[in-house]
Amino acid sequence: MRDKPLLRVENLKTQFVTENGTVRAVDGISFEVYEGEIVGIVGESGAGKSVASMSLLRLVDNPGEIVAGEITYKGRTIFAAEETEDGDRRLQDGVLSAETVRQEIRGNEIAVIFQDPMESLNPVFTIGGQLREFIELNRDLTGDEARKEAIDMLREVGIPDAEARYDEYPHQFSGGMRQRVLIAMALACQPSLIIADEPTTALDVTVEGQILDLVDELQRKYGTSFIWVTHDMGVVAEICDRVNVMYLGEIVEQAPVDELFYETGHPYTKALLDSMPRPDRTVTDLDPIRGVMPEAIDPPPGCRFHPRCPDAREVCRQVHPEPAEIDRVDGFSHRSACFKRDVFDVGYDESPPLDNLARGESERGQEASEVASGGGASE
Amino acid sequence: MRLLRYTLFRFAQAIPVLLGITVILFLFINMTPGDPIRIMTAGQEVSESHLAYLEARYGLDRPIHVRYWDYLSGFFTGDLGRSIHYNRPVSEVMMARIGPTLLLVLSAFLFAVVTAIPLGILAAKRRNQPSDHISRIVALFGVSTPSFWIGIMLIIIFAVQLGWFPSAGLVMPWDAPSDAGLSGYFWHMVDVLHHLFLPMIALGTLQMATIMRVERTQMIDSLQGEYVKLARAYGVSERTILRKHAFQVAQLPVITLVGLGLSTALGGAVLTETVFNINGMGRLLIDSIQQKDYQVVMSVATILAVIFVIGVIITDIAYAYVDPRVTYGEGE
Repeated sequence: MRDKPLLRVENLKTQFVTENGTVRAVDGISFEVYEGEIVGIVGESGAGKSVASMSLLRLVDNPGEIVAGEITYKGRTIFAAEETEDGDRRLQDGVLSAETVRQEIRGNEIAVIFQDPMESLNPVFTIGGQLREFIELNRDLTGDEARKEAIDMLREVGIPDAEARYDEYPHQFSGGMRQRVLIAMALACQPSLIIADEPTTALDVTVEGQILDLVDELQRKYGTSFIWVTHDMGVVAEICDRVNVMYLGEIVEQAPVDELFYETGHPYTKALLDSMPRPDRTVTDLDPIRGVMPEAIDPPPGCRFHPRCPDAREVCRQVHPEPAEIDRVDGFSHRSACFKRDVFDVGYDESPPLDNLARGESERGQEASEVASGGGASE
Repeated sequence: MRLLRYTLFRFAQAIPVLLGITVILFLFINMTPGDPIRIMTAGQEVSESHLAYLEARYGLDRPIHVRYWDYLSGFFTGDLGRSIHYNRPVSEVMMARIGPTLLLVLSAFLFAVVTAIPLGILAAKRRNQPSDHISRIVALFGVSTPSFWIGIMLIIIFAVQLGWFPSAGLVMPWDAPSDAGLSGYFWHMVDVLHHLFLPMIALGTLQMATIMRVERTQMIDSLQGEYVKLARAYGVSERTILRKHAFQVAQLPVITLVGLGLSTALGGAVLTETVFNINGMGRLLIDSIQQKDYQVVMSVATILAVIFVIGVIITDIAYAYVDPRVTYGEGE
């Protein structure tokens, strides 16, 4: 069995109050990250992956707000609140103050790598200056030491002639090189956890491969834990130890990576896998997921995936499934939120099938252009 | 070194531009109807031979291209010719007038920049809150109201009704009485500011409003940038983000605006000087046009053009200095 997790997220809810209603972007997710592992959060665009990961740093843009749940990191409570009956939230005692989270968590304990390396660096400051600022802010180093550390880190992430490039500006770097700079930034602050929010999505495939290899190597060397946010099952297979599959603000399946690929529990995960080419199987036709993910402002009743699910039955429309453990592998549980598994006793087998396929046919004409592809590789 | 080369290059580029401006000005001035000698001698009995003598004395009897060449060569040797109306060297006439205009324009700009940038940042930070709405209404008023109207209103309210400020004239800071001690000099400066206040606001309001609007928009844009998100994620304080990370990126268009605003301010100075009865270059220009005082009009207009071109060059250099993506024209 494992030690205590580095990060534990329990029943996290983040909402955006808009004119049209409340968007439940993250709606009660729970997961853990242990020391030295890479945990994937995977799902389609709009599933709530980025909001979930930013919530961990309490960095949710207006009008978003974390309304409930508990985030514990190394025994410290980053956030803990309950939803009261009248819809407000009540912070619990012992929660770190906003100022403490900024000074003691962001950067030096949990660092991030963002999706778009072209936009994430400030265009008017040098690469070195930006690195040095974050190092000085998050570690007890003097200016000269921070500079040396910054150059060492640039070298470490494979930037040639690091000393000379220290004084260059972001526009003098290519996309792949900028992403290396962002990785150097994260590692240089010596955090225990790095949140990588689709860090390779904006890069072309060969550069993506190089970056994944680099992260793999550095992760082994420094032992840093990662939360890897992506929509690409191929990346998940390559890099992650354990995976959380998100759909419409919820985690529908949670499993170690091999288990997820070979003992897939949830029809949504299966659909994601079927919609991408796989080197381990002969696939003649890709099978994209029908329809588009509904808006989080008005999620379907019951199981949120049931309107697009090929296995949906009447019960799926009426009862909302919570994730339940269907297996245990190496001390990790494999959870799935689907009634198909017999751990649920809601009468799935007796329930009449929903006529999704027939409806899918009739809607196919108008939705042909909206066919959502779960795997990036199929795009 | 690169900066020096770029600066010299830009100044070299400006020479043909300024030559073009003088040619066009010279042609236009000489094409306008009216004759300075007739205006000068209006209502007097003057013999034809005396008129011819006067024309020859001011060089008006020679062909236009010769006169242009004379003007140009004179300009580069520092001889701006002689004013027909004032009967004094043009350089002397202008020297007496350039001080008030520079004082007025520069103080108006200082006022505009010093107030507009903090207000713009504040409005961006408090977006869609009451203070933002108020500053936007003030800015809208500022950009849509002509400076002479603001000047007249300021005079009516603060000079005529309340009597807080003088309604006319400027006092130059260097005109302190020579026997004044330290306290005398202090009171002289108070007098300078006292006179300067209303015209400065009249001229500066448009600049302030324009700069504030752009500052606000740019800061809002910049605060939503990914680099701000990144800085927040690394624990940078909101103060530092506002002052450094978002601020510096947002200033690029503001610099352009301040530089180009110099031309509108010079135009506005002509009106403001008229409203506040200030003996500056603007009023000199208007009076000289009415008097057909060719030499003065040419010289004042040329000097204004030179100031404007220098303003543009300084803007470009400042821009290249602040934004590393702008190169000094070396085709990298």
